[in-house]
Amino acid sequence: MSKKKKEGTSLLYQLIGEARGYDDVIIMGRGDPDFDTPPHIVAAAKHAMIHHHNDYTPPQGLLPLRQAIAERVKRVNNIDVDPDTEVVVTNGGQEALFLMVLAVTSPGDEMIVPEPNYNTYADSLAFAGGVKVEVQTYAETDFRADPQDVQAAVTDKTRSLLLVSPNNPAASVIAPADMTAMLDIANEQDLMILADDIYDLFVYDDFQHVSPASLPGGKERTLTLNALSKSYSMTGWRLGWIVGPADLMARVTELKAAVSGGASVISQYAGIAALTGPQDAVEMMAEAYRKRRRMVLDALDAMGMNYGMPQGGQFVFADIGFTGLDSAEVAQRMLTEQHVLAYPGSAFSKDRKDYLRMTFLQPEDQLLEGLERMKVAMDKIMAEKI
Amino acid sequence: MASNTKSAILAQHRANEDLNTPLLPQVARDDSDLAADGMRAPLDERIIAAASAALEDGQTHYVDVPGIGPLRDAVADYLNGALGATYQAGNVVITAGLQESRFLSIQMIGEQYDSIALPAVVHPGVRKALGVRSRNPRTMPVSPAKGYLASPDAIAQAAADGCRFFYLESPSRLSGAAYSADEVAAISQVLADQDAAVIWDQGLAPWVEGAYACPAALDSDCSRTATIGEAYSGMGLASWFLGYIAAPEAWVPAMQSQKQIMAICTSTAAQYAALEAGQHYTEAQSRQLSLLGGLRADTLSAANQAGLSVVEGGAVNLIALQMSADNMNRLRRAGIDYASGSLFGAPEVIRLNVNHATAAALGALG
Repeated sequence: MSKKKKEGTSLLYQLIGEARGYDDVIIMGRGDPDFDTPPHIVAAAKHAMIHHHNDYTPPQGLLPLRQAIAERVKRVNNIDVDPDTEVVVTNGGQEALFLMVLAVTSPGDEMIVPEPNYNTYADSLAFAGGVKVEVQTYAETDFRADPQDVQAAVTDKTRSLLLVSPNNPAASVIAPADMTAMLDIANEQDLMILADDIYDLFVYDDFQHVSPASLPGGKERTLTLNALSKSYSMTGWRLGWIVGPADLMARVTELKAAVSGGASVISQYAGIAALTGPQDAVEMMAEAYRKRRRMVLDALDAMGMNYGMPQGGQFVFADIGFTGLDSAEVAQRMLTEQHVLAYPGSAFSKDRKDYLRMTFLQPEDQLLEGLERMKVAMDKIMAEKI
Repeated sequence: MASNTKSAILAQHRANEDLNTPLLPQVARDDSDLAADGMRAPLDERIIAAASAALEDGQTHYVDVPGIGPLRDAVADYLNGALGATYQAGNVVITAGLQESRFLSIQMIGEQYDSIALPAVVHPGVRKALGVRSRNPRTMPVSPAKGYLASPDAIAQAAADGCRFFYLESPSRLSGAAYSADEVAAISQVLADQDAAVIWDQGLAPWVEGAYACPAALDSDCSRTATIGEAYSGMGLASWFLGYIAAPEAWVPAMQSQKQIMAICTSTAAQYAALEAGQHYTEAQSRQLSLLGGLRADTLSAANQAGLSVVEGGAVNLIALQMSADNMNRLRRAGIDYASGSLFGAPEVIRLNVNHATAAALGALG
């Protein structure tokens, strides 16, 4: 067996694998909501199995679903798209992410990536032969990506700028003024923008989500991804999308056809029901996450832990630098000793060894239990330090 | 504002002929659409019940990247029974359809090799997958007399020329022709002698009447054959996009890791449906094989009456015909959709799916 230290996605999967071995494990790592998919969506899938199981679906997806997506991105994100030519349905947000990166990246191209960020962007960029140029953000400023730092990172090889808002794992939301500044940089430097809006329905307090494609001059250079996984608790259905200008979307369509052909017709009918049906379940889940977020922050405050204020998303990125240990070691000890899985920051970025990402995608009782166990683990680590 | 960056991306895209290769529809729009790759078929009520029960039971979350354990077991068992292979669940990756199987296997196994050898006539999805990131493809000569299969001699020649990685279809996705046991033995010997590897698309094997041979059965230590295909074809799941890769264990981690990067996992509803489909596959496939065999015989008669030349085939779910441009136009004018051989690399041929409408469609040429 390889003795090489695991990192990135491999490290996460090692921890997930170990977590499966504990009957009483509390998962505060993976971004999989605890809620099951709302019943009316399941009912729509069942209806599709009976009436639409043989339906032809093109690689870009069923037109009624693309129309529902176009309506959704107009309503929520203020992006105007033509469902015929400017929407492609994908196998979840993950495939959307992969396709977006492939669409704008040739070997040697640089992509500016505010860090920390979701590790799959680096993996996809590596597949495409692109180069990640990191722009650091800091807990002290709630992980704000500073447009001036982005500007300074541009070189003659820069092809694209990644804007994930709310960010995963740091949970920061790009403020409207900063988003405008980012778009100005993209326009001046002629960069493509990859916008990841997957947590756009989960924004807290007075923070505001803005899609770069909704700003004047934004749409023509922006590909925007989203998915039903987080907002409708549909992670297992694998349904997401990319919207963007028709010329670039023609390329995305070919890439989608090359990588996987199409998306399951049953999931697509479920997606239509999700987007066009009652939205009360989404609101209920969003409210639950708001409450749980407060619980986690209160617990971290009680433990004296620092964090960047989570302005959106479904997680908190907390500073465990006071332990003096690498986050991979802290996560491993929390899992082995207390059966609590949180993701080490080093899995997201080599420079984030002082952080843990904790989701609040568990029922309240489990979340409280997980936080109590986490405190026990932390107290033990600190006692050993003394 | 005009963007030079975007213009450069689009220019590069337009120049990428492999990526822009058109794909065939996954499922026919109706019975007169004879072009699709997948088969329209009724969906057994037991499959609907099983998939619905799984969803209602909360199987709506992420599952393991390579697929749910019972389905990986079932696919391994099916392949072992059908092909004489020795796969276990750990050899199997469940994919979101055959194209994802092609993409993952070509791209990730291909990272170990300098080039990949393909038959000159091959499913357009292969070139399309290569268009995303080229693996230095080389083509092997084929002939219509052999159903467009690359001969063992052509494979040996490619190996002698230094290629150690092959992509082969049996049955051919254009003609339906399949390699004989002797040919498979010869190919396996080349692979063993040259320490070479093969991706073997056997997705149409259920539609071969009589014996079917696959190098996985001769790959005693399961070290050089990746078998790919669509899961349980003919069971009404074509639009659900479900496929598999069965490969040496040493190759699985790279494909699994890439699957995580590009999809995390495959639709749970599709996986639970397939799990149930597997329970009834032997019986349903046998019935379908018999039905399609009769329909193909009718289609052959109609082709003979129309004076058409039939390409050497084998699989009963399709038929490939040599066809003049005039006749192709007549079919189009009659509203018959066919798969153009030009997409595969054989512009003189068309492929028709075999169903209740196929023989009558050739009547348009009478």
